[in-house]
Amino acid sequence: MASSALATVRARTLFAPLDEGGRAGTVARRLVQAITLGLLLDGERLPAESQLARQFGVSPVTLREALAMLRDMGLVQTRRGRQGGSFVRAPAGTQAAQVEAMLRLLSVHELRDIGDHRAAVAGAAARLAAQRALDGDIATLREHTGRLHAARSLTERRRADARVHIEIAAAGQSPRLTEEEMSLWSEVGDLVWLPVADGQAVAIAGEHDAIVAAIARRDAGQARALTEQHVLAETARLVDLRLRLAAG
Amino acid sequence: MTRETRLLAGLHERVGPVLDRVTGLAAAAGRLAGAARSAGRTLRRDDFAALRPAAESALRAHPGLAAGAGVVLAPGTLSDASRAIEWWWADRQGQISPLHVDLDPESAEFYDYTTTEWYREPERTGQPFVAGPYVDFICTRQYTFTLAAPVRCAGRFIGVAGADILATQVERMVLPGLAALGRTAVLTSGHGRVIASNSPQILPGSPLGRHPLAADLVAVPGPAGRPAATRLPWTLLTRPGRPG
Repeated sequence: MASSALATVRARTLFAPLDEGGRAGTVARRLVQAITLGLLLDGERLPAESQLARQFGVSPVTLREALAMLRDMGLVQTRRGRQGGSFVRAPAGTQAAQVEAMLRLLSVHELRDIGDHRAAVAGAAARLAAQRALDGDIATLREHTGRLHAARSLTERRRADARVHIEIAAAGQSPRLTEEEMSLWSEVGDLVWLPVADGQAVAIAGEHDAIVAAIARRDAGQARALTEQHVLAETARLVDLRLRLAAG
Repeated sequence: MTRETRLLAGLHERVGPVLDRVTGLAAAAGRLAGAARSAGRTLRRDDFAALRPAAESALRAHPGLAAGAGVVLAPGTLSDASRAIEWWWADRQGQISPLHVDLDPESAEFYDYTTTEWYREPERTGQPFVAGPYVDFICTRQYTFTLAAPVRCAGRFIGVAGADILATQVERMVLPGLAALGRTAVLTSGHGRVIASNSPQILPGSPLGRHPLAADLVAVPGPAGRPAATRLPWTLLTRPGRPG
């Protein structure tokens, strides 16, 4: 399966034009994410460079720069000749390594900014949920925090965690904040659980319980404060790991 | 008939037929399943693709109101998929397309419809149900109602048929009437959530019961004429006293 399949549904999400004019790092991150999520499969041939550049809305130079970053990370192999092109290299069982590669593409100031953005969105969503959630919404939130406690793998935890935050925004009755949460989670969600040791998972799932408990008490101020603290702690863990990666 | 009752009756006249379409879609899905059963075949996902004309006709019959329609199947119903969603949605231009969602439980984007209220309530009660308004982050990505009805085959629950209506459309339908009443009036969902109001102090999405003005509001009797099970669970409340 090659470029014809990529021209369809996945291409619309993967290769949607970038808002910010498209830097090589952003393009590379989008591709790493696609590989991490399994949207691009091992051995799959990427569309021609000119076509990819067009789809991302970046110059061919920027696109080549992005592909070079992926090559350096061992996620893409470029072969010359008639059967040539750029091929995805994503052997099974290396998910954590791929997410780590994604983290290496982010600077500490970008991580801090993503954290600020997430804290603003998630904090406001939690405040609105405390004001507007009905008993049924609270039950839904508890169900999803329960799934987070039961989750074991990186993928399960990421999925359950994302769902808790998306459901909080939905309980706040705000389609815009919900959309914002979804887009943040699809952009950086894979990173969140990367620096978490198994021993920390219970405490982090517990932070979600405390947020939901504040929402259930209709304590808007506390719901917001706990959520902001929770996101800032996540950001701190990511910055810490990023610095350790830089130290080599 | 008072203006308030007329307003409610008008709402039922517009939205009620969408619910009728949904119960029709549920019956059609049940018949498809029954036919496969009588023929001694197991149910396959493709069997339900035959519902597309019925779903499309529901969407075309209510342009600008019904945003999506289709069926979802209970886990274990099909022989070739653990879950299936056969749903179609209409864009602003009226173009109808199938909805694609991720039904792989191992995937990060997995959509588990069996946890939604619009699935659980018809499953639990065996009756049609009007869910919402809620933030539908899967199909419409907007503030939405889902009108749902259980699909049954040989007495067994096998899924849910439904149609999505955008909250904005319902508001457009009732706002002129509410504004013309000349007294505080609020339309609420079955859960007591504000759908629309003519007061800037009472915003859509908020639970009316927690509002300081709620104690002054009295429910207007609903219109007669529809069977209880297919009546909209919505309430119109007004502030009595000052005539409109």
